[in-house]
Order: sequence, then C-alpha cells, then structure tokens
Amino acid sequence: MSETDKYYIERCLDGHPDDFRHIVRRYQAVLLAHLAGKLGSRDKAEEAAQESLVRAYFNMNKLNRPGSFFSWLLGIADRVAKENQRKEMLHRQREAIRSFSQEAASPELSQDYGLEAAIAELPESYRRVVLLRYYGGRSCSEVAEQLDMPLGTVTKTLSRAYATLRKSLQQPSETESYEVQK
Amino acid sequence: MNCAECKEILVAYLEGLLAEPQKHAVTDHLKDCHSCQAEVKQLTNLRERLVSNGRAAAQSDLENEVLNRIVREQNVRLKAANKAGAALKLRRIIMKSSITRIAVAAAVLVVAALGVHYMMGPSVTFADVVKPILNARTLILDMIVGDEETGTVIHDIIVDQRIRRVISTQQHLVNIIDTENAKMCSLHTEGKIAVYSDIQGSLQEGTRDLVAFLREIITDVQDNPGFKAKELGEKEIDGQKVVGFSANGFTIWADAETALPVRIEVQSPLSAVFKNFQFNVPVEELESLVSMDVPDGYTEQKKVFDMTTSTEQDLVECLRIWAELLLDGNFPEAIGMTKIMSQLPQIEAKLAESVVSAEEGTQKGMTLGKGMLFVMGLKDHHYAGSGVKVGEADKAIFWYRPEDSENWRVIYGDLSVKDVTPENLPK
Repeated sequence: MSETDKYYIERCLDGHPDDFRHIVRRYQAVLLAHLAGKLGSRDKAEEAAQESLVRAYFNMNKLNRPGSFFSWLLGIADRVAKENQRKEMLHRQREAIRSFSQEAASPELSQDYGLEAAIAELPESYRRVVLLRYYGGRSCSEVAEQLDMPLGTVTKTLSRAYATLRKSLQQPSETESYEVQK
Repeated sequence: MNCAECKEILVAYLEGLLAEPQKHAVTDHLKDCHSCQAEVKQLTNLRERLVSNGRAAAQSDLENEVLNRIVREQNVRLKAANKAGAALKLRRIIMKSSITRIAVAAAVLVVAALGVHYMMGPSVTFADVVKPILNARTLILDMIVGDEETGTVIHDIIVDQRIRRVISTQQHLVNIIDTENAKMCSLHTEGKIAVYSDIQGSLQEGTRDLVAFLREIITDVQDNPGFKAKELGEKEIDGQKVVGFSANGFTIWADAETALPVRIEVQSPLSAVFKNFQFNVPVEELESLVSMDVPDGYTEQKKVFDMTTSTEQDLVECLRIWAELLLDGNFPEAIGMTKIMSQLPQIEAKLAESVVSAEEGTQKGMTLGKGMLFVMGLKDHHYAGSGVKVGEADKAIFWYRPEDSENWRVIYGDLSVKDVTPENLPK
C-alpha cells in the first residue's frame, strides 16, 4: 500500500489493471469528499467518484507526469461534477417546464456536506492539502512529500485554508444570502 | 511571543510539528492569552469536524464497483475496437480454415481472447471452476459464434487430442481432427465419403482443443500468485444457480455448488458462447466417434488435400466457381468468408446438382475455401466484381499487391491475370 502513485500507474499501464485497486483505495475518500462538496449528496458523490476513477483509468496513458496523478484526478472529478450539475440543471429545467412552474427549485445542499462544499470552494492549492490531510489520511509530512513542498508551506497552507473555511462556514450559503437580499 | 507570532505557528503546534523550545513558547503564551485560546478552540473544532468527516468518507468502499465498471467498460471498448481494428485478425483466423473447415477457427478465437487477467472469487474459486476442464479427458460442448439465437453452432466432442466437430449449417459433414498429427478426416455422411486433409502449421495450432486452451488459463493464473479475485456474483441460468468470474473479454459462469462450468462467454475477438458442457463422459463411449479410420461403408477419397497453402490460382478458381456455379455467370456483389459461411447450404446444394463425382465436389468446395484463404492473407486488395459477368475481359474484378512487390496483380472478368503498375490501376 505504500508504493507511490507512479508505481501503480506504471503497473496498470504495464498490463496489470488489477493494481488500479490500490489507487482506488488511496483516493476514494478524497474524491467522495470533494464531490460531495460539489454535488451535495452522498449518492451523487459516489456515482461521480466511480465515474472519475473509471475515466482516470482509461486515460492514464495521457498522464504525462504520473507523480501529479492526484491533481489530475481532481481535475477529472471537477469535470465529472460539472457535467452532472449541467445534466441536473437541464433536468430541472425540463421538470419546471413540464409543471408550468416559474420557479425552478435550486438544488438543496444537504447540511451534512456544508464542510465539503466549503472545501470545494477553496483555491486549488489549499484544497489539495486539506483533502489529502483529512480525507486521504495523510500526515503533514506525507502531504509535503506528495505535493513536493516544504513542511512549513503545508502548515501555512492549512492555516490559511482553515481561516477561509471558517469564514465561509460562518456565512450563510450563497443562495440563501441572495434570497435575503431580495 | 506575541499573538501574531503565536497564530503563525499554531497549526504546526496543533499538528505536533514544533521543536521543544517553540512548543514551550506557544504553551506559555496560551496560558495568559484568551484570544489565542479562543483561536485554538475554534481551530480544534474545525479540525475535529474535518477528521470526523474524513473518517465517514473513508467508510465507503468503491473498489469493487470501480473495478467492475472498468471491466465492463473495457469489454465495450474491446468490442468496438474489434469491429474495426481486429477485423484483420479475425479475417486471418477465419481464413485459416476452408469452406469445410470453418469450425477450426473456434479454438483460435478463444485463445486470442485470453491472456489478459483471470480473477478468482472467494467461495467457488476460479481454480475450482476450471479444474473440471483441466482434469477432464473428455469434454462435450456447444460453441455458438455470433448471436446466440441465430449464430452458427459448433458441436464438439473432445477426447484427449482429438475432436469430433459438427457445424449446424452442415449437419451431414463430420470433421474429425487429430490435433496431434495435424490431420483431419471429413466424413460426408450422405455421400459416404471420407476425405483426409493435412492441417499443419497455424491450422493445427488453431485447432488445439479446448482442454489444452483451458490448461493455459490455469498456468497463467498459477504464474500470477498476486492475482486477485473478481467475482460477478450469482444468478440463475435455466434454473441453475451459477456464479460468475470475469476477465477482460472473457466470462465463465459455473454451477454455484459443483463448480462445473455452465457457460463461457467470449467477447473478443468474436462474440461467442460455450454451453451445454458434459464433462468426463467415459472415454470408451466416445472413442469410436473420434476414430480417424475410414468407417464401414465409406469410400476413401484417394487424394489427400493440402490445406496449408493457397495461391492466386485458388482465388481465380474460387471466383470462377462462385460466379458460374452459384450466380449464373455473374460475379458476386462482395466476397469474403462470412459471405460464404452464410451461403453454405446453398453452395452445397448447387455443388450436389452440378458435379459429377464426389471428388470433384470436394475439390470445388476446397477451392472456394482456399481462394478466400488466399484473399485473407493479402494486405492490399480490392474487389470490384459486382455487376461484372464472367468473360468481360475489359473489366477488372480484383486486384492485390503481392508482398515485396511494387506492381499489382489484377484479375479481369475473363479470369485472366496481369501485372499492373500502380499508376495504371483501375480506378
């Protein structure tokens, strides 16, 4: 389990697709958190996480630097989430038209994923560190090693990420504040 | 230490990353500073929330679902790829056989589909499933090529190194294949004729029996000790409870209790299903069925046919027979093994009407097969015979470029053949 991403990716590309399970084990929680934050539900997050991993598997040969697998995977997950959101929006619009209703209900974000939603809003550099630290079960020094940054940068990044998270968790969500202003 | 300094390293402090002196400095500062204490409390709350959410997320297990999806997706991709790219492989495989020997392709197809990964399940293991096949001296099975309802059924009785093979479209033709000695004996049960042919080389390899093929799987699995199970779960086939194992392009369903294989599905390079298995029928009961001797009442065709080579002349003859015998002198719209396969019954009927001797009939059948065999061995070729009648010398019906040649060989409607430079090729 302690091999690098690069090792497993090369194994997969070398004709050992079964080794992809190590990658899945390593990143499933991270992906779930990330996607739950974006999609607001556990089921949707699981589906999207699976989809992201499958896509990653089939596009592995396009990954130039296997060391940067994690960032690349998050990028795929972002795209999958966006596609899902778009699909959902279309679906809602269709529903709305069907029911002759003027107001298309906005997706309700489950309370449970408020934290993950806030993480999803973080700048990319903060997000990677938070996800790896808490959802990837890594220590600060492991995060430093994987993302190739000094340990001090990891704690400073965390510190800034915490501040941003606290701010956005204190504020009501954007949709709500919009309602209030109206 | 002031508050700003403290806050700067608070995260490192909480992570336990500070060296002793710094740690003490923070601890000392916290004792008296309520603002920083509050900050610690807030940070701790947030971190606890992150830790607990992280734990919750770690609960779920996507591993099996993701790997299953990959296998499924891979199969879909293989199918699509095979339709296009592997057509050549498929052609080559099919064309190693002749018109009376299409079935020999069966084993090759299966072998080609393997070699990726085999996965073992926990209860009934993959090894359990293949053991009956591994140890079986005799094996009876049906292989259906193409659509399960409408495809061609190949019925095999395998006894050690020999196979008795009957194809659904040609029930009156029994092929007995001796894979050890590269010989095949075809018995025409209506005409009571026994025809022998040599099948050395790739044809022999391609006909390696299924037992040998499955042995290869076992060896493969044994050579991969780290190999992990992939189970497809249970379902029912015809009221029988079965458990499935899958690998890329290849699925085995076996009886959940006895572990005897019930159904094998191959998705590539050709979709095929193996079923109706019977294992270890006593050898004595089957031995006579795979005898290479001329049966009582049968005439042995004196000539032994060589199925190992095919020439341009075979193709010319093939086209002649096809046009004259089957299409009243018109060249077919398209040529190819699948075309011939689908028309086997008609071809047989026409042959029976027109030929004077059994030997001539066999010869013509063989030529049709060998002609197609020749085409399939070619890299660059083109057929343009649609709408052309036999004898139209000004119309080119087929051209190909022999390997290592600049020029092309062109066959015309009168079945003459000429060397043609690339710039003079028919359009």
